[in-house]
Formats: sequence, C-alpha cells, structure tokens
Amino acid sequence: MPVQPPPVKRQLAAVFDMNKCLGCQTCTIACKTLWTDEEGMEYMWWNIVSTMPGEGTPRGWQKLSGGFQDGEPRPSRLPKLSEFGHAWEFNYEDVLYGGQGMNQHLQPKTGDDNWGPLWDEDQASGAYPNSYFFYLQMICMHCTNPACLAACPRQAIYKRVDDGIVLIDEERCSGYRFCMEACPYKRIYFNQAKKVSQKCILCYPRIEQGVAPACFRQCPGRVRFIGFLDDEESAVHKLVKVWKVAIPLHPEFGTEPNMYYVPPLSPPLFDDNGDVIEGSERIPRQYLESLFGPDVNRVLDTLRTEMAKTRRGEKSEMLDTLIAYEWKSMFGGFTRDPGTLKRPV
Amino acid sequence: MRAVKLQLATKTLLNSGAFQWKKVPAEELRMAGARVDLQPSRYVRTVWAGRPVGAVRNLKVQTAHNSRDILFRLEWPDESKDTDFGDGSVFPDAASVIFPLKGDAPLETMGSPRSPINAWYWRANFATDEARNRSCQGYGTEEDSPERQVQARARWEDGRWYVVFARPLSANGKTNVKLSSAHPAKVAFAVWEGSSQERGGLHSCSRQWLDLVIE
Repeated sequence: MPVQPPPVKRQLAAVFDMNKCLGCQTCTIACKTLWTDEEGMEYMWWNIVSTMPGEGTPRGWQKLSGGFQDGEPRPSRLPKLSEFGHAWEFNYEDVLYGGQGMNQHLQPKTGDDNWGPLWDEDQASGAYPNSYFFYLQMICMHCTNPACLAACPRQAIYKRVDDGIVLIDEERCSGYRFCMEACPYKRIYFNQAKKVSQKCILCYPRIEQGVAPACFRQCPGRVRFIGFLDDEESAVHKLVKVWKVAIPLHPEFGTEPNMYYVPPLSPPLFDDNGDVIEGSERIPRQYLESLFGPDVNRVLDTLRTEMAKTRRGEKSEMLDTLIAYEWKSMFGGFTRDPGTLKRPV
Repeated sequence: MRAVKLQLATKTLLNSGAFQWKKVPAEELRMAGARVDLQPSRYVRTVWAGRPVGAVRNLKVQTAHNSRDILFRLEWPDESKDTDFGDGSVFPDAASVIFPLKGDAPLETMGSPRSPINAWYWRANFATDEARNRSCQGYGTEEDSPERQVQARARWEDGRWYVVFARPLSANGKTNVKLSSAHPAKVAFAVWEGSSQERGGLHSCSRQWLDLVIE
C-alpha cells in the first residue's frame, strides 16, 4: 500500500542556463506541436517559459503548496481552468481574411478571459531605470521523490528504472487528479476529452533512440543541457555535481527535482544621476533566494569569480561549457538527428 | 432488501419517474463517509484527514426485477448537479451498486485481493444509459470488466438525483455477481458528491452489506 518509487539505475537530468534564455518560446511551440495538439489538450503547456517575478502558470502556482514537508505530503488544491487560462480562439477570419482589418483588431473570440499562461510575459518588476525581469523555463521536474506518484491511489504513475523519467499510465489513470493537487510545481494537466491527467514525458520515445527532447534540441539560445546525472562526461554532471553551479528550483518542496537551473546574473543598478553603482545587482538576492534557497548566493558568487577569471584572460572550462560553443556538448550523447528517426505511421 | 417481481418492460423501469416505482418498497439508508486512514494514497490520507468525507448521508433505494433484468433505483439529495469537471475543481457526481463476489468481502476497503467485489458504476458525465461494470480488489484497483451488460439512466430534478441501474439476472463472466431467486445475495451502495471533490475512494457508502432477496 505505501507508494515509494523504486530506486532508479540512472537518472536523466537537465540544466537550464537562465542567463541565455531569449524568452522566444521556441521550446514551448516545439513541445506543443509534437505532443499537445489534440482535442482536450488545447490549454496544455507541458513546457512553458514564464517571466519572473511573475505569477507563472497556473496562476500563482508557487503559492499553491504541495510536495512534502519533513517527509509528509503538504496539502494543496486543484488549480482551476481559469488559473491555467483557456486556449483562446482568435478572430483571424475577420481581421486577416474578412476584409475587416481596418476596423477590427485581433482579439480572442471569448471576451471574458482575464488571464492566460503568458499574461504577464515581459512585465518587469522594479522601477525604471532599475527594472528587471528574467525567464524561468518549466517542464516536469521528473523528481526523485515525485509527489504525484505518491498521491496516485491507482499507482498509475511510475518512475522508469533505466532513466528516472516519470510517466503517467493513461490506461490506469482514472482522472482523479490527486497528482495535480500534489505536484508542487503544478506541471500536470487534465485532459477533458480523454479524462486523464497528462504531463511532460521528457520526449522518452526520442530519448530511447538517442535524440534530445524537442524543447532541448530546438532551443536557439543553447539554454538547455541534458544527460545522465552520473555520466561524468556530460555537461549536466559537471554543472550539477562538479562545479555545482546548477541548482534546483524550490528545493524546499521536498521532491528532489532533476531539473536544475543556473540562476540569473543581474546588470548593475543606476543611481539618481544615471551612473552605475559598482557591485550592485538589479535582481534582489532575496527574491532569488525565495526561488532557489540560500545556495543561490554561492552559485552567483562562483559565476562572478569565473567571469572575472576570463576577463583577466584566463580559461574557464565552466564558462566554456555554459557558452556551449559546440551544441553537441550539451546533450550528454543524445545528439542523434531527429530527422533520421522513422515516424510512426 | 427485497427485489419485487413486476411484469414490466425494463425500458419502463429504467425511467426513474415511472409511476410503477411508487408501489415498490423503499429503504432509507444511512450512509457513512469512507475511512480516510484506509486510502492507498499518502497524499489523500494526509490531506483528507481533517476533512469531512461522504457528503451524501441519506440514500433511498428500491429494487425490482421482471424475470429478465434486475433493477435498482437510487435517489438522494444533491443541491449541486455536477455533470462534468466544471472549472477544474469539481468532479462529476457518481453512484455504485456493489456486490461481494464471494462471501463477505470487506466493504470498507472495496474488496480485497482474496475477496473482490463487483460494482456497477454510473457517473454523471457518462453518455445516456451508460454504466460501467467494474471489479475491484481494494481501493485504487477498480477495473472495467469486459462484461458490459450494466446500464443506468439518470435524472436530476429539484435538488435530487434519481438513478436506475439494470442488468440481466443471468449474466455470465467471472467478474459478474450471480443473481437469482434461488440464492440470497448481498448488496451495498456508494455515492460520490462531485462538488465536494469526492472521487476514487472518497465517497459515502452504506454502512454494511444488506441481504438481497430476489422474489
């Protein structure tokens, strides 16, 4: 009766370098077109890039709780559809093809919506000229201690022993959505057509054939690294285990996520005369600590030290790895061209 | 409870408003909330420990047969008609007629691996007349059975649900309860109140198995 995931042989992990993200949502669309373009999935964003500080999606998810505290499940609640935001249909016919372009503007056909997954995109915090924002890349965290798995009364959620990918068995899922409640990152969606819960699958059919997940492979900013955490050759291993500059989001949620983040560096503040305040940082450390815990200070200091090294003309293998001069170095061996795969008929 | 014999077509009796049901004796059952400490999910055990389970406390049940099919008519108060998932925070209302497949299967856990149960399951988002015929060996193990002879027709009116279940008296298959006038059987009932987020093992249930006699 107690549900604990079996220990995995190997764990796939990822690193998102937040300093390189353009906020272009190419990852989001890569995922959307590959996995969530069917009926009942319209509102799903298994991958999303939210503007921070911001509410993210579902709206205000960081305040919804879930996960574990001292090993015990923390109560949460189901997000409402309105907190995810409905998938809007726009009046393209009128504006683009109906000859109404001069007197109608592009807008959702359903007029009563006041929230969507990227409603606060690119909306900065702070006051000009010291305003700031950054992007947060979110997929399923494929946790070592998944709250979703522990919450499912039907054992419909499992963690693959060979790579640690967390999957929902749609044949077993009864749509009770305890997983949605329990996931503290709120990365699970309910398919209203199939009446089952669904989420990021880390593109496991691609992984099984040596191809990086779509959101990784298509990222034009070279933000996303993937590999086995114990693969000492992989960039993921070096960034997480050796240099320790990639850290989990909300480690206090207690699920041991396997997605890691290189936290964002800041430009400096300007004083009233418009002069740079040396040594200052635009993004308050306190805010970053609320996301990544106090360890974020050590990471940012490490990154600044490495950057100072390179300014002096010294080499930094860490920064070279993060820059990713050669894209293949980012994918822990999952570098096969997806164009060489046979598509299922 | 006694399934009275009526010379009426099943399609007549599937209508919960048919006047003939007025002549059928009714039992008013006191329902109890499912036990939270027996739920298989850690999350559910923790989160629902302090929450009331089993919003529906009274269930009116009648049963009849016409030699071909046996029918159960269930009626209970429910101010909120939940026929789907609403804004994402509610669930469809649902009800079950439950039978032990052998002996006294434990009702409070919905059967066990040794003593499975057979549950006829209706949910307010199913198609008209649709019901599932399930077998269950404990909470969280419910499976749709390949034998699909169960149907149900539901109506919500003035704050009450009326649901009539029907199944042929003689139905083969390992997961189908055997029902005949020759053998006494046992039966129980469960109701899920969707607006209270009841689903899975969170429901109200009749407090024990009831003896079922088929005339």
